Parts: sequence; structure tokens; C-alpha cells
Amino acid sequence: MAGTGKAHLRDPEQTLLRAEDLVVEFPLGAGGAKVHAVSGISIDLVEGETLGLVGESGCGKSTTGKAIMAIPKPTSGSIKLDQVELTTLDDESLRRTRPVLQMIFQDPISALNPRRTVRDIIAEPLVVWWEEEEGRPPTSAWLEAYGRVFSRVAAQVIRPMVPLLTLLLVAFVLWVTSEAAEDRAWEGALGWTQVPAMIIGFPSLAAVGVIGSILGSMGLIWLALAVMVPFGVMSKVLGKVSPAVGLLAAAFATAVTLFMIWRTWNSFAGTAAWVGRAFVIAIALPVVVWFLASLLKPARAGATGVALALVAVLMLEVFYVSGLDGVPKLGAFVLAAAIDIVLFRLVRKQAGLRAAELRARAEPKVREMLETVGINPDTSLDRKPYEFSGGQAQRLSIARALILDPKVIICDEPVSALDVSVQAQILNLLEEMKARYGLTLVFIAHDLAVVKNVSDRVAVMYLGKICEVARPDELFANPAHPYSHLLLSAIPHPDPLIEAHVTQVAADLPSPVNPPSGCRFRTRCPLAQERCASEEPVIREVAPEQFVACHFPLVGEAAQ
Amino acid sequence: MSYPNSDGPVDTVADTVDDHAPVLVVKNLTTTFATPRGPLTAVDDVSFTLRRGTALGIVGESGSGKSVTARSVMRLLPKSNVTTTGEVSINGIDMMALGPKELRAMWGPEVAMVFQDPLGSLNPVMRIGDQVAEGLRIHHNVSRKEARAAALQLLRQVGIPSPQTRLDEYPHQLSGGMRQRVVIAIALSCGPKLLIADEPTTALDVTVQAQILDLLSDQQTERHMPLVLITHDLGVVAGRTQEVIVMYAGRIMERARTPVLFRDMKMPYTEALFRSIPKVEYPSHTRLAIIPGRPPTMVEPIRGCRFAPRCRYAQDRCLEEEPELTPAVDRDHVYRCFYPVGTPEGEQALEINRSNGRLTPEGELIGVS
Repeated sequence: MAGTGKAHLRDPEQTLLRAEDLVVEFPLGAGGAKVHAVSGISIDLVEGETLGLVGESGCGKSTTGKAIMAIPKPTSGSIKLDQVELTTLDDESLRRTRPVLQMIFQDPISALNPRRTVRDIIAEPLVVWWEEEEGRPPTSAWLEAYGRVFSRVAAQVIRPMVPLLTLLLVAFVLWVTSEAAEDRAWEGALGWTQVPAMIIGFPSLAAVGVIGSILGSMGLIWLALAVMVPFGVMSKVLGKVSPAVGLLAAAFATAVTLFMIWRTWNSFAGTAAWVGRAFVIAIALPVVVWFLASLLKPARAGATGVALALVAVLMLEVFYVSGLDGVPKLGAFVLAAAIDIVLFRLVRKQAGLRAAELRARAEPKVREMLETVGINPDTSLDRKPYEFSGGQAQRLSIARALILDPKVIICDEPVSALDVSVQAQILNLLEEMKARYGLTLVFIAHDLAVVKNVSDRVAVMYLGKICEVARPDELFANPAHPYSHLLLSAIPHPDPLIEAHVTQVAADLPSPVNPPSGCRFRTRCPLAQERCASEEPVIREVAPEQFVACHFPLVGEAAQ
Repeated sequence: MSYPNSDGPVDTVADTVDDHAPVLVVKNLTTTFATPRGPLTAVDDVSFTLRRGTALGIVGESGSGKSVTARSVMRLLPKSNVTTTGEVSINGIDMMALGPKELRAMWGPEVAMVFQDPLGSLNPVMRIGDQVAEGLRIHHNVSRKEARAAALQLLRQVGIPSPQTRLDEYPHQLSGGMRQRVVIAIALSCGPKLLIADEPTTALDVTVQAQILDLLSDQQTERHMPLVLITHDLGVVAGRTQEVIVMYAGRIMERARTPVLFRDMKMPYTEALFRSIPKVEYPSHTRLAIIPGRPPTMVEPIRGCRFAPRCRYAQDRCLEEEPELTPAVDRDHVYRCFYPVGTPEGEQALEINRSNGRLTPEGELIGVS
């Protein structure tokens, strides 16, 4: 089984979603081993069709579903949605396909944010796309860029230094209190007034650069560096830095740092000069270490290198400002912090108001969706997901997936966590929604009876390959692949007179790290021959609309 | 098993003589949880007995009280917030009268349990062999070496390939099905006289599920050990039990020998459960019969039959008066309904509901969500 081939695919003109030769591999450890989760799957769906993906756990059915959504992008292969190739799209264009392609997850409770109300959860997709269509206020773009830069720097540069910085801060305060009386601390390259700015964070440092440059009448170079570099250019660059850019940035950061050390080393005076020097070293050390490390592994220099360069530039500004006299310097910092806080608040408030307005506008649509999925909006809008039972929460997930009016929904084991009676409710609901909105569904499940019930076409998967593709009624009546036969025989029948005749299964699923050669099912297959080990079967049609990847299928002229 | 144990697979003649003496007797078991909204009666006046060598299935939706019944029988529920009344005796030992120390002596040699989530019930930082041997070391006071040999034998019995190497591995190195086999080996290690399996296959794939159920059935017959199999899947109990109890809202709704239950179910709830299962025989896109609504919360006292609000057969009487467990034609078959399925009363009740608009022409309930 478990072969490759595309005999079962239909005319590309007709298909709405088409995945060809999908391969997903996950690296495993340092030895170059890989988990072959999906190895050359091809599936297609015409509009309004439901494709059932079925197999044991570990067969790659969920990975296939996620690869179609490009979370993560498949290692290789092509996915075409409405004739548009998804695998080559950049992140932003891919994001724009999301309203068309939605997903419903297995565990409804963990797929819904427990801290938000039903109203917000269901409205969220609409709010996001309305914002997108109508253009966001420029301030929120600024806010987002800041957030992206800061979180990266915070995570990779500042956070590891926090214990050291705290220690040095204490030492600094002690130093300042002991030496301020002699008024010598002002001479230092790092005056105590800079400490609060270091704590408040990034924008204040940038603003310090601006104000410092104005106070020092130093022209526009600093202004440009302080404003444009951090929030404009860098945020764009950070998104997709190449190793080379990262390495260059790290080199720049290191150069700046070393320059600063050289300039400031002797500017510390008095008995506590070593404290100031230690402070400089503490800031410089991670930069230098990172630079050396990225020389060894350029691929890892990436975004952090750029972030470090950013820090270095800002540090330059700080050192420049510290050339000022005591009082204007203090004023610059206080002003910077104040402007920063006010601006930040304003921006956030504006963004919040905007979202609230959009949520209010979305409410009629939210109510409509809730009613469609059988939830009373009057009693549920202000409740949170954990106040609902599993079945109701799955209804909420369906409402959220439907609110953008998608064409394709990928349902990843949507009923596996539910009771039989609730399962029936959800399956019926999915059928209703499909009829009403003309949906195309990819339905992933391990329960064959469930898959048979909802599907127009079923693909049986095993260890990252397709075994058999057929209409459900034919597949269940006459399975052509030995694996389909095995799966069917394992279903527990709700009838004591039918004894479960499970074909003896020799072993567990083989490891997807070292999948068997040839047909991947051969290690468990009762019909396996030598040919199965040497030659991988290719999918072919053994009966009308029944495709199988097996050398010895149970159906067709080859069957005995 | 290799470890000498009077209740091992080799039964003495004396054992077969009292074959009909019940191993497990549960009488009027009621378990109540104290919740902020008031006392919640999860198990309400449940009585049943279980004989040697038989397998009993307990079926119901989540929240029907099947797991709480099992835990009450084992006395595994915490003391605070829970009150359990009624009688539970295992091989004549009154479980309700035992203290913590005596209970510990019961768990393992007398009664053992297999839980739903195999990863959650294994210690992630302890070797498989040590976990399997732990019960033996505690209850039978055997040496480390003997316990290890016994553990090896047990792993072989539950069908784990290359058990020798598995002994020194950790749970995360095994697949889900293998882990569940280890859990079963642990439960079997002290040769329990009663095994309770609480949703043992719910977390597993169909193929693995079939293997695990086969293993449980084999061990049950081989050891002549009674088995309580708790599940929400009627398909699971169908082939592997001799008797089935259907629970709903803490009550036993129907109890029958398995073939009788599936052939001649009397309780509308059993029928509704059965109808809601998607069956492989149905052509694809068959609309499934659903049980509308949700089980009651069991905090407020319920008037009438507990299933009445979701029942296709329900009449005014059902909302007022709770039916008693009524015996049916077959021996051991009891149910709790005024208008049982497949009887003239039941047919008439359906007809009335159809004419007064409670049912659709296809016979589905309207207006409950």
C-alpha cells in the first residue's frame, strides 16, 4: 500500500482544493533523522464534496489536514485552492486565504479562549477582516510594529540579562548615593538618570535620542535613526531576515559596542569606577557572545542579530545624550518617558475603541450564526466557553468557522471527544451546514462508521501514504486494500451476534522515522509477498471510482 | 502468571463449586457530591450483583454516573465533599466498613482497576518493570528479583513484544496501545478477584481497541475473573460482556443479559443510544437519530422519569411519576419504563405523541434543544 500516484485525482479544472505529492517531515534530533509524517499524499475535492480521511493515529491524517492549512507549510508538494498555489504564497498572502479555508479542531474546549465571552470569540474573525478591509488606523500599525520588535528583543536580549541588570542596578544606586554628593557621577558615561529609561524600555530610549538630538541641535541624522530605524525599517526587516543580514547586523552591533567600551572605559572615575565598567561589560558581553556564536552558525544570526543592532544603536543614543549636562539630561529622560506613556495609552485606547465598535457591528451576524448552530444567543452571548458542554462548545467552534462564509472547512476529528448521542447531533449539524452554505469538507476521523456517514469519498491513510480512495459505500462493502479490510474488521459492532473477527495484527504501527521499504503496510499485511518489500505500489483504479495502492488488491481482476 | 497465587489461572475444584456465589454485591448505592449549587446525586440507588467469570458492561452518556459507580465500589472517591451510602461487598468483604489501611490491602489482590488514560495512570519517571512489580512487592512481599521475573511474565501475558527490553523502559517510550497493556498488566499483577475497566479503550484507535478488548476478554476467561467494563460505546459491550447495565442520570435504566438487551431492548433510552450510533451498514449520509437536549444536572430533585424530557415515548404520566425497575419476560431483564419499546403500550405512546405534534412524521422529537 501505501503507495504514491495520482490516478485517483480528477480534472484540475473541476477541483476546488487539490493537494499533490504533499510531503511533511519533522526533523528529529541532531543526527539528521526525520519523522516521515506525510510522504507523497495527493488528494482533491470538487466543490460541495466531503472527503473523509481515515486511518490509525500516527498515519498522518491530521498532519495532512494541517499541511493543507499550511500550519506548518508542507516540506514539499503543491496545494491549490481555487487554482491558486498556496505553498509559494508569503505569510501575508497566505493569511488572506484564511476566510476561505477554515478549520474545526478535535477538542472544542481547548480550541476556544477561556477568558473571552462567546460574543467576542464568534465575532473575532469578522472584526479582524473588517479591520483588514477598511484599513487599520496607522497608529495600530505602529503599535504592532513596536510590539513585534520589543517582544523579540525582550525575549532574546533583555530577558536573559535581567538578573545581572538588577544586581548592577542595586550597585548603581548605592554608587550614586555615595558619590552624588561629590557631584562626580555626572561625569560618567552612564549617569543614574539613564537607569529608569533602561527600565521603561524601548520607545523611551528612542525618544531620548530624539530629544537629545534636539537639545544638542545635532540635526536630523539622530532623529531618523531614533524613529525610523526602530519602528519602521527594522520591524519590516525583522519579519524575514536572511542569515547574511543577521550576521551583518550582529557585526555592526558588536562594533558599536566595542567602540562604546573603548570610549567610556576611562570616563569612569573615582573609587567606584569598576561598577560603571562592569555595567558596560554586562551590556556588551551578550552582544559579543552572540556575534561569536553567529559566526559559527550563521543561520542562527537572523532576527536576533538585527535586534542586537537595534539595541546598539539605541545605546549609542544614550551615550550621546549622556554627554549633556545633568539637568537637561534629566529633563530629557522624564519628558521621554512621559511622552512615551501618554502616546502608548492613546494608541491602545484608540485600537480598543475601534475593536469594540466593530464587535458591536458584528453582533447581528453573531446572533444569526449561533441560532444556525442551535445555540440560544440571548442566554449564551456573555458566557465563557467552559460554561458549555462539549457538544455545545463544538457548536460554537462550528459557528466561528462559519461566520466568514468559508468555502472549505477542514474538520480534524470534530466528534472524537464527544459522546455518541452528542456525536450524532454534531454530525447532523455538519450535514445541515454543508447543505445550507454549500461547504466543501475535509473530514478527518479514526472512526470508520462516522467517516462513512459524512463522506462522499474516503481516503484510507497508513503511515503517511494513501492506501485506498473510493466512494464510502463501495469501500465499506468491498474494501480493496488489505489495510482497509483490517480497519473494517476491527470496528466493534453494536450487536452481540456479530463476533469481532479481527485479522490478527502482528505488531504496532512501524516507526515513521524508518518506514518500511516498498509498501509501508507490508510488515502487518497478511498478504505481503517479496515484491511488496522491493517495489512501492502505485495507485490504480481496480473498480469504477475505486483506487488502490496495492500489488495484490482484494477487488478487481487481480483479486483471487 | 508465574507468581504462585491461589487465584491464578489454575483453579481449584473448590473455586468452581461456588461459581454462582456473587463476587460483587452492590445494594442501594448512592453517591452525593457537595457542590456550591447544592448536593449533586451522581449515583442514585444503584443495586446489582456480579458472579464469577462473567463480564458486566455499564453503558451510558457522560455524566450518567457510570464512572462514579465504579469509583464508589472501589472506594476511590475522596472523603471530603462526597457521601456514599448503601452496601458494597466484594467476595463477602464489606467495602464500606474498611479503613484506609484495609482498603490498600484490597486494592490489587481483591479488586483492581484499569483507567481510561494510560499515560495518566502510569508514573512517567518510573521504569515499566518497577511499576508492574510494585503491587507484587507490596502485597506479596516478594524479593526484587522474583518480582522482576513475575513482571516479565505479566508483560508477556498481556502481549507486549520483547518484554525483556520493555522492563527497563519508561512509559513515554511506548505507544498508546502498549501503555494500556502495561496498565492492564499492573492491574492483573496481584491476581485480582475482580477487575474494573473504566473506558479502557476510549483513547485508542479501532485496531488497538480490538486488541485491548480481546486481551481483557482472554484474561477474564483464563483467570475466571469477573470484569466490569464501563464504556459509552454500545459496540464495545456487545461482543464482550454477558450482562449490560444501562445508566442514565445516576439510575439504572435497564439491565439484561447482553443478547437479550440488543435483541429486545425495552427502555426508550437504550433504544435512543443505539439509534444514535452511526453504523457501518447504513449507506453514507444517513441522517442519524439524535437524543435531543442534555442529561439533567441532578442537583435539583427530579420529578417523574429522568429521561422523560428527551424521550420519544414520554406521556404526561412519565413527567409525574418515576417508574420502578420492572422485570421483563426474560430472566434477569429489568427496565424502568411505563411505555416500553416494542410493546403495545409503547407503540400507542408513540402514536399519541405523533398525533399531538411532539414527534415529526419520521418519529423524531421536536422542540427540545
